[in-house]
Amino acid sequence: MNRRVLLVTTAALLVPGMVWAHGPTRQKVTLTAEVAASPEEVWTVVGNFDDMSWHPAVFATEGKGGNEIDATRLLTLGQEDGPTIDEVLYKFSDDKMSYSYRITDVAVEVLPVTNYSSHLTVKPRDGGGSIIEWRGAFYRGYPNNDPPAELNDEAAIAAVTGVYQAGLDALVERFGAAS
Amino acid sequence: MRWSSVLVRQASRLFTLPAAISASMALAETAFITCQNGEELSRIDLSEMQETARWPLPGKPAGVAAGLDGTLFTVSPDSKTVRRLSSETGETIAQVVLDGGPIGIVLDSTGGRVFVSDWYNARLWVLDGENLEVLTELPTGTAPAGIAISADGRFLASANKDADQVSVFDAETLQSRHRITVGIRPFGLRFAPDGRLFVGNVGSNDVSVIDVDTGTVTATVPVGERPYGIAFAQGHAFVTNQYANTLSVFSLKTLEHEALIEVGEYPEGIDATARQDLVVVANWFDNTVSIVDPKALSVIETIETCDGPRAFGSFLKGGRQ
Repeated sequence: MNRRVLLVTTAALLVPGMVWAHGPTRQKVTLTAEVAASPEEVWTVVGNFDDMSWHPAVFATEGKGGNEIDATRLLTLGQEDGPTIDEVLYKFSDDKMSYSYRITDVAVEVLPVTNYSSHLTVKPRDGGGSIIEWRGAFYRGYPNNDPPAELNDEAAIAAVTGVYQAGLDALVERFGAAS
Repeated sequence: MRWSSVLVRQASRLFTLPAAISASMALAETAFITCQNGEELSRIDLSEMQETARWPLPGKPAGVAAGLDGTLFTVSPDSKTVRRLSSETGETIAQVVLDGGPIGIVLDSTGGRVFVSDWYNARLWVLDGENLEVLTELPTGTAPAGIAISADGRFLASANKDADQVSVFDAETLQSRHRITVGIRPFGLRFAPDGRLFVGNVGSNDVSVIDVDTGTVTATVPVGERPYGIAFAQGHAFVTNQYANTLSVFSLKTLEHEALIEVGEYPEGIDATARQDLVVVANWFDNTVSIVDPKALSVIETIETCDGPRAFGSFLKGGRQ
């Protein structure tokens, strides 16, 4: 296991693995990384909703409204003309070093989720450095029963986990692993 | 509860319990929060407004029932395990693995029994409260989830989600009394202090109000999106709206909407203290509990807890008569 990313937890609502008679259940993914830099230093880099350049998969961020509630951003992934994700900010706190956002538009081919919301939080770490926590809740990309494999719960969890892992790995690279 | 009766009770406990510290522990209002993702149980002291313990609890725990006297039970659907735990140490005192889909749990404080819903097999298990042996089973409609017992101990009820139905039993004789059609996909339910049964329908975004004597729905109250749990305090009903991140508040007297309170994201389990001075809500996505003042109808505290809090059931103990 990658020691830099400490915690990965996922679970379906209420009864994992249960076949619900009424469509998909909400999934939750939490990833955490510990870095050597102070929370303030990390927050300076990740704490602007309109700048996601710290994530290696993000080619460009086009933000409107800064860090105000209801600010939006358009992420372009990979390259110019790459796939895009529209997001909206619904909570922001410099004090708590945390912001929360929702995806308002993304193709399931790009990220196989629906009704996605996420929190990004930086906290002080016991013994120095910071803990960066990235948490998401979402439904799989296929809204009905019997989803195809690429749009099932596992695919959704794997995709979100991959996005978080890549982002946190880059931050560990940038700030150094906590020791 | 009046202050005078609290003081009297405190004094009597000081004399009957071996140590003063035990008396203060017994009096403290305490929340026991089951965290499904983190597989932990979080204990929160509501007088100190802080988490005082976090214990491992495997099997993706969801259901919880805290007794008047410090007894504590949990249901882990993933491992199909019902446990009786020490509320002081979190240690398992007794456990049983049930063949089915256990979810909801409720205590029969007078009869020493525990009732558990079986989501897969349309039944309730009746367990011995001491050793958790299965005493008998009660048939219900499809997919029973929430389960509740009336304050006077007379009635037992389950919300049968896929049957759009509530089952009501005589809690003493265990005879079936009613099967009542409610809204769409009822999930959580609770008896109000006046004996009426309130059922949240996650599919129709409303609450069915039931007269359990006659077995009839007497009213349907619209609430927010995806009502999950219900609690009562200060003459109000509080309903967690899972998709709206709010509590709907309506009057028990008039059933009129009174307020909408913003809580954390994905609010689920909800319970009120016996003194009716606090309402506690578990926010599944935020990993927090919101503490609500039911008189002011506002959040007075937000406390961090373990990952994926569900607290599905009656999760507060202490401070009761």
